[in-house]
Amino acid sequence: MDGIHDMGGMHGFGPVEVEPDEPVFHEPWEGRVFGLSLVAGAGGLTRGSGRPRIEAMPPAEYLAASHYERWAHSLETGLIETGTLTRAEIDARAAGGGTTPTRSEATSPDVVALVSTFLNGPQPTSGTAAAGRFAPGDRVTVRRMAPARHHRCPRYLRGVTGTVTSVPGAWPHPGEKEPEPIYTVRFANADLWGADAEPGSLHIDLWERYLE
Amino acid sequence: MSDDHGHHPAEPSAVERRVTAIESLLVEKGLITSDVVDAVIETFEHDLGPLNGAKVVARAWVDDDYRARLLADGTAAIGELGFGGAEGEHLTVLENTGTVHNLVVCTLCSCYPWPVLGLPPRWYKDAAYRARAVREPRKVLAEFGTTLPDGVEVAVWDSSAEVRYMVLPLRPEGTAGLDEDELVPLVTRDHMIGTVR
Repeated sequence: MDGIHDMGGMHGFGPVEVEPDEPVFHEPWEGRVFGLSLVAGAGGLTRGSGRPRIEAMPPAEYLAASHYERWAHSLETGLIETGTLTRAEIDARAAGGGTTPTRSEATSPDVVALVSTFLNGPQPTSGTAAAGRFAPGDRVTVRRMAPARHHRCPRYLRGVTGTVTSVPGAWPHPGEKEPEPIYTVRFANADLWGADAEPGSLHIDLWERYLE
Repeated sequence: MSDDHGHHPAEPSAVERRVTAIESLLVEKGLITSDVVDAVIETFEHDLGPLNGAKVVARAWVDDDYRARLLADGTAAIGELGFGGAEGEHLTVLENTGTVHNLVVCTLCSCYPWPVLGLPPRWYKDAAYRARAVREPRKVLAEFGTTLPDGVEVAVWDSSAEVRYMVLPLRPEGTAGLDEDELVPLVTRDHMIGTVR
């Protein structure tokens, strides 16, 4: 969907604000929501990527939310979507006001080992061989479109022509099962932002369906 | 984890209460165990971070064969050092040169190479960086104190699909006498995102 999350090129957000010596998580609940999101996803308690659920937030709420508040939204709506929890039971429990989650007496050493490998264990390079319509050196134009479903094609590229520089491989497009070629495409800044653009180039990986 | 950062509000926020409620319900229903959530947090607080990427960079600076393998297949070469995993299934390393400076952003969300850099800093996920890095990268670099010499072109990488990117910075001048271990501390997270040259 072409939502508020698609921020490339927008004006008005001010300078980049850097926090020195930033911790990994600023509050304990940020770590919990991050961990819960990964565990719930891996265990099938939520379905698919959390990105579509974040993108479905009302735009004003999205802008007002911190990164991990967006993750909390995604986790909650994902668990409700699958029937794992109901909003009513979360509301009721949250009204109690506790900030210390129940600890399980049970442990899952096998799952802990899987988590460790999943996050911190080298794997073969992902992506399958791509035999697609385009090859390095080809000029391609990003389609003009307005897809309502989840996608990964920023608005600032629509209708702009660039050059394929490499073909990293094929992966399923979000929501699909069959691999589809992805192309790395280089765009000249002037073609994206006009005559006043800074010199230089923009590089991005695009699924074949976005290109013509 | 601790509350030593001093930012913890006296009254728990709504989101903190909801996340706590969700975890308690999942645990009480027997759907998850607490130790697995702990393991994810501990992995990111202790094991995954820019030190991994710095080791990759230092190796590439001292070993030309490794550097060639790293640029040809980042995932495999990074795996040689024992690093890899989620959000690093297909890693591509972008080499800064005398004429090209690379800068990585994710305009749509927060895509980032976890195995080599850990979790992204807040500014990487904030609207200002996501909006501006693609349109006015030199102005953004200037805010990080990075001014590029004449003749150096900025190549911005909007990591939006399956590949995750990290930058291989130039080896600093005057470091010819340093060995690999001595080079590691010279490499920062921002070098590998590209906001610092």
